[in-house]
Amino acid sequence: MAATEGAVVAGGQDQQPPPQARAVERLNPQVQQQLNLELVKTRAISLFKAITRILEELGGLARTNAVPKWQYILGQFSMVNLELYNIVEEIKNVSKAFVVHPKNVNAENATILPVMLSSKLLPEMEMDDNAKSEQLLHGVQNLPVPAQIEKLKTRIDMIGAACESAEKIIADARKSYFGTRQGPSLLPTIDKVQAAKIQEQENLLRSAVNHGEGLRMPGDQRQVTSSLPVHLADVLSVNDGTQSFSDSSGMYQKNTPPLMSTPSNNNQGTLLQASGAQLIGRPAASPSTGSTSFDNTTASPMQYANSPRSGANIMNTPSPQQQSHQQQQPQQLQQHQHQQRQKMMQLPPHQQQLLAQQQLRQSSMPGLGQNQLSQLHDMQNQTQPKFQSMHGQHHVQFSQPLAAQQLQGRQLTSAAMHMGTNQLSQGNQLNRQLNQFSSAANSALFNAAQTTPTSQMITNMSAMMPSQSILPRMQFGMSGGNRSLPAQNLSDQMFNMGAASASGMMPIQQQQQHGTQGAFGNMPQGAQNLQSGIVPMQNTQQNHPNFQQQRPQNQ
Amino acid sequence: MECVVQGIIETKHVEALEILLQGLCGVHRDSLRIHELCLKSVPNLGLVSSEVRLLCDLEQPEPTWTVRHIGGAMRGAGAEQISVLVRTMAESKVSKNALRLFYALGYKLDHELLRVGFAFHFNRGAPITVTVSSVNKMLKLHATDEAVPVTPGIQLVEVTAPASSENYTEVAAAMTSFCEYLAPLLHLSKPGVSTGVVPTAAAAAASLMSDGGGTTL
Repeated sequence: MAATEGAVVAGGQDQQPPPQARAVERLNPQVQQQLNLELVKTRAISLFKAITRILEELGGLARTNAVPKWQYILGQFSMVNLELYNIVEEIKNVSKAFVVHPKNVNAENATILPVMLSSKLLPEMEMDDNAKSEQLLHGVQNLPVPAQIEKLKTRIDMIGAACESAEKIIADARKSYFGTRQGPSLLPTIDKVQAAKIQEQENLLRSAVNHGEGLRMPGDQRQVTSSLPVHLADVLSVNDGTQSFSDSSGMYQKNTPPLMSTPSNNNQGTLLQASGAQLIGRPAASPSTGSTSFDNTTASPMQYANSPRSGANIMNTPSPQQQSHQQQQPQQLQQHQHQQRQKMMQLPPHQQQLLAQQQLRQSSMPGLGQNQLSQLHDMQNQTQPKFQSMHGQHHVQFSQPLAAQQLQGRQLTSAAMHMGTNQLSQGNQLNRQLNQFSSAANSALFNAAQTTPTSQMITNMSAMMPSQSILPRMQFGMSGGNRSLPAQNLSDQMFNMGAASASGMMPIQQQQQHGTQGAFGNMPQGAQNLQSGIVPMQNTQQNHPNFQQQRPQNQ
Repeated sequence: MECVVQGIIETKHVEALEILLQGLCGVHRDSLRIHELCLKSVPNLGLVSSEVRLLCDLEQPEPTWTVRHIGGAMRGAGAEQISVLVRTMAESKVSKNALRLFYALGYKLDHELLRVGFAFHFNRGAPITVTVSSVNKMLKLHATDEAVPVTPGIQLVEVTAPASSENYTEVAAAMTSFCEYLAPLLHLSKPGVSTGVVPTAAAAAASLMSDGGGTTL
């Protein structure tokens, strides 16, 4: 800064003496005026004084070793800086012809410095220059220079005027354009009244969509009075106007079982099956109706995990799936199997063996008769691999899909016959294909097998069959799904449940996992314990702890 | 699982919004006419009463039914930082027997509404669906032909995208960036958070509806 200001000062002062020294040579008065040397001199002197002042202050501080007032000093420096800047600007404007202001080469002026310093332009640049000047001075080159200057000036002024008018026109056009678009009010705000109305409407709308506020009709208006729209006409009959179906039996009569999904599966969207899947047609019976239907059967009332059961009680647990289901979901199959298992648990030991064997066969109710009892005796002590081998040997061939209850009934009776005849294992083949049998049928048959095969059994069984109301319970348990069975069961290939066969087994071990086969694996282990019992239809959790206890014991 | 935001727009600007969406999405609009039945279960069927929605698409020549269950929304500090609502949602196509089924299970009709409007389905980082519809209520049960709008001057705009628990952040980000394009016309927010209308919507709508500036001054 000191160097530049020195240069400036020198420049200012230098310019002053030459005009004065060479009296003959005077600067053009115009240039002199332009240079405004007096002003520059004044500024330079004041700048010099300010800097001197600062230097003195700093010197005094240094001598006295006092703490300088930095704020003040910085202020002084900034003032000096400002003055310097002013001077430089002034000189730059007028001294282009005399001095080269940028003393140092930097990026800014590196390109232009050579041109500034050169006495003659490069040939190309000279040609460009000439061409441009030719263009500009086309009409006025022959005139004297002042005239040329005048003409150029007028030309510049004309161009400037044209630009200004063009800008003005553009601004006017813009204003009018937007003016007509937006109308008189360009305000971006909405007035309060309107905003409040909109807010109110918005709240109405949002609550209607998200929560159904304002859309609920009072009960008396809920009757279907006018004709139903097309899409509902065949869905709802007029009688269906009221939405409560308390009579479960009505549902069963339908040939096409509706999709089954339990309300308790709120958090399990997966249970909402596509229409293609056929679930077991279960009546939407309330638990109360189920219990009453229990009473209808010869078996004992609902089984709970904690209550000891007699063998005959197992009859009650035919799963709801006994009824018309065409293809059972894996869960239901497992349920069925569980159910069966649970029934086995409650049987006397020899029957438990039957139960153990029953795990292997997924839907084979028929054929499980006393002939199997002996098999189970053997099987009970066998390890699982052995089970497998035995499993393979015993295959009960069951007739193919039970589509109708009648078929199931038939099978049940035939199974009862089987049991009566007391055939032994050799001829028996357990049918592993669950999808052929409703689990209810299996469980019913199994139960029949468990108890003494008498003719009474048969009658019991047939009496059992219509007890469909038991079924609903099963389903409830299915969905719950938080119990996870030990992996041992799951990997057991023996218990190869067909995808279709959802056993009506009580959900003790169940199937909280979709398609888990583990339930079956538990059976052998649990077979020892009769008391684990058939879980109550509704509540699988009750039995679960029992089972868990059983398993370690049996292993 | 889905990410969802809702907003409102005045009916007079819906056409402009459609133009904007047409330009942003690059697909044609699908007309929408959905009869939504909201069924609630009675408490004795479970621990708490649950709600399930049956949607019947009346636009098709053959009405198609869908069942949808909307679960709880994500909560917590992380959820508050996301500007969209992430909630569990399960949806499936069903047969027309679904309604009977639910009635048989013990569900009762809680309310019903009819949505009439249009929707755009496109992919922009995530498969996003924008639905602009007027929500209508039926004065008589199931009388979809005599439905009147709940709020005549305001329509509902919903932007949804399916998500899973692994990718919901990306889906939320894609949705947020898309929603910014709609800012001149409407504000979008989580369902339940009210937004108001955009003051400059009129101007934006006007410019969208203009024929490109060829007007003479």
